[in-house]
Amino acid sequence: MPKPSPTVLVIDDEPQIRRFLRAGFELDGFLVLEAGNAGEGLKAATLRSPDLILLDLGLPDMDGGEVLERLRAWSDVPVIVLSVRTDEDQKVRVLENGADDYVVKPFGMAELLARARAAMRRHVRRSVGEPVVRSGPLAIDLVTRHVSLNGNRISLTRKEYRLLQVLGQHAGNVVTHQQLLKEIWGAGHVHFTQYLRILVRKLRHKIEADPAKPCIVVTELGVGYRLAQPEPAAESASAGRAVEAACA
Amino acid sequence: MKLYPIPAALGLVAATTGVLIILHGMLPIDHVTLVFLVPVMFCAAQWGLLPALTATVAAVAAADFFFYPPIYSFSIDDPRNIIDLMLFSCVAVVTSELAVRLRRAAEAASRREGEIRDLYELSRRLAACTSPADIYAAIRDHLASSLGSRATLIADAGKLADAPDDPLKLPAEVGAGAREIFARNSLEPRLIVDPRSGHAWLVRSVSAEALDFGVIAVDLGAGADGVEAIKQRIDPVLAEAAATLARLDVARLIDEARQRTETDLLRKALLGSVSHELRTPLASIVGASTILADAPEIRRDPRLHAVLQVLQEEAERLNDDIQNLLDATRITNENVQPHAEWAELADIVNAAIERRRARLAGRRIDLDLRADLPLVKVEPRLIEQALGHVIENAAKYSPPGSSIVVRAVADAQRVVVSVQDQGIGLTAEEKDQVWERSFRGSRHPNVAGSGLGLWIARAFVVANGGTVEAVSAGPRCGTTISVALPVVADAVEQSGESCNA
Repeated sequence: MPKPSPTVLVIDDEPQIRRFLRAGFELDGFLVLEAGNAGEGLKAATLRSPDLILLDLGLPDMDGGEVLERLRAWSDVPVIVLSVRTDEDQKVRVLENGADDYVVKPFGMAELLARARAAMRRHVRRSVGEPVVRSGPLAIDLVTRHVSLNGNRISLTRKEYRLLQVLGQHAGNVVTHQQLLKEIWGAGHVHFTQYLRILVRKLRHKIEADPAKPCIVVTELGVGYRLAQPEPAAESASAGRAVEAACA
Repeated sequence: MKLYPIPAALGLVAATTGVLIILHGMLPIDHVTLVFLVPVMFCAAQWGLLPALTATVAAVAAADFFFYPPIYSFSIDDPRNIIDLMLFSCVAVVTSELAVRLRRAAEAASRREGEIRDLYELSRRLAACTSPADIYAAIRDHLASSLGSRATLIADAGKLADAPDDPLKLPAEVGAGAREIFARNSLEPRLIVDPRSGHAWLVRSVSAEALDFGVIAVDLGAGADGVEAIKQRIDPVLAEAAATLARLDVARLIDEARQRTETDLLRKALLGSVSHELRTPLASIVGASTILADAPEIRRDPRLHAVLQVLQEEAERLNDDIQNLLDATRITNENVQPHAEWAELADIVNAAIERRRARLAGRRIDLDLRADLPLVKVEPRLIEQALGHVIENAAKYSPPGSSIVVRAVADAQRVVVSVQDQGIGLTAEEKDQVWERSFRGSRHPNVAGSGLGLWIARAFVVANGGTVEAVSAGPRCGTTISVALPVVADAVEQSGESCNA
């Protein structure tokens, strides 16, 4: 009763990057499809309906944002963006255009796999309706709206719960400041980042063992927050998961 | 000038009369008055209307006295002769008038021609000018040669610093007038009389539209007559000069803008391609090595694992070097314009430590962050980068196993993050030099690095409105490097109330 292998589509114009991504994902049990440009990529996405797409932002024939826009017009397949460190703004833009997460080149395979699994889990959770999201000692029940820490229920304000709820719905993936501000305070407040900073600080004091070294609600500098999802498997020796490693 | 033509006219008439008397003696002439038209016309053409009229009256008198009977008397017998003289007078006056007008027209034409030739000369000279200084020299020479006026340029301080010093002594009143034009920003020309020499000076802006090209003072000479005419002649000269100045200015601005754009494009292209061309192969190396690191065969063999670790660490170092190179280029181009946002300092400090954990090599980080630190308004990535360099530096110059204390405190004005190590410390000279580009401590030549780290750190902190400071009790006594960031007041107030929902 083996499950069918999930399919990943790699859209990147660099053959060497595609080569190591193919190896990495095949070792992890994926079927790998490759596309060298946006045109081929969009075609493959339509014809082969992959379970996951890796999208490089520096494609020669189309802006990464536009590829995403075309893709999101008909599909909600999980998309992980591969970017370089210099384009923080572009990263935020594609996340708001519907990308599920990003990794910065150069990245470690384990980090990419963790982001990919989180994005795919979210996809499954949405279709199956899995009610409880966990992150370390924290459990968020999205149906009963109960949050517990090490099994003990804790009381949160409405906004604190909303923050955890949004992060929980995207567990393991980054949620941008703007997305959070819009979800919690409304569309008119997307520039009031300081509200969010103070709210996160209060929440961390309630749920983190050491609020100065957060392990549950972790910060992506200049981009947003993510609800940490430590990998259950033992590969934590690999690079790229410094935060989880420090929290273990 | 005005006195001589009248005796001359009388002389001419007398000479004509003499000639006629002689001719008349030999051969009687009926219409002597016709001959008298010659001196009258000559006077009109040569000296103007008044001498011509004088000549006419004299001619009438002479004709009457010498030629019309009774001769040698002013009385006339024949009434036809009276009519003859009256007709002569009319014709003489009318033709004189015409001759005078003609003369004036000819004079005006030749003067205009001269002026146009002068102006043409000036524009030819201006066309060859490549700097404001050339233009001012051209204006001065032109006014001197064509108007006989001396001119001096009073430039606005700074704006026309390269205008040449003028040997012309400027009367104090004229200088004051020029300063007043600047002070009032007025484009109205002024006429100022120097009380000592009695010379009239015209002081006006070179351009009739703006004071941008400075103020010019023209010495119009003594006496007030002709001032209007000279003023009018100066106008086209200055208009021409102002147009040339404007052309030079526009050309300079265009040139500057083009150079800026080119540098900018070049820089962006360079940054983009360095970033892409170097990072892409590096991404393959790092990615591939992490796959190998997870392979059971390698994880089982500590030697292979060590080899792979070398690969990963060196790739990581190369990535940092590329980042430093990009940052250095960005700083050198004075292009660090932070996208400031409200940020939690603890997040920034944690990120800086985490990203460098692999390079701390056994040094312990003791984190001491006050829980109530105010938010800072900075570009988090830049400060993270800066603190990272400071922490890495502390690790590099302190013994393995020692601890590095990262502490953050705040007062009303600023938040200070200090990184304290138990390392080699700083000498007095080193304390001043550590922030310089490419500075490497000469006491420790075998520590690897480019000397860019602290220089980048300082540039990024300063760009975000902060300051840096290095303190050390001396060699082998450890070093404390502090990064101070400004506290922006409204963060705490605004957010305090908004979260109590």
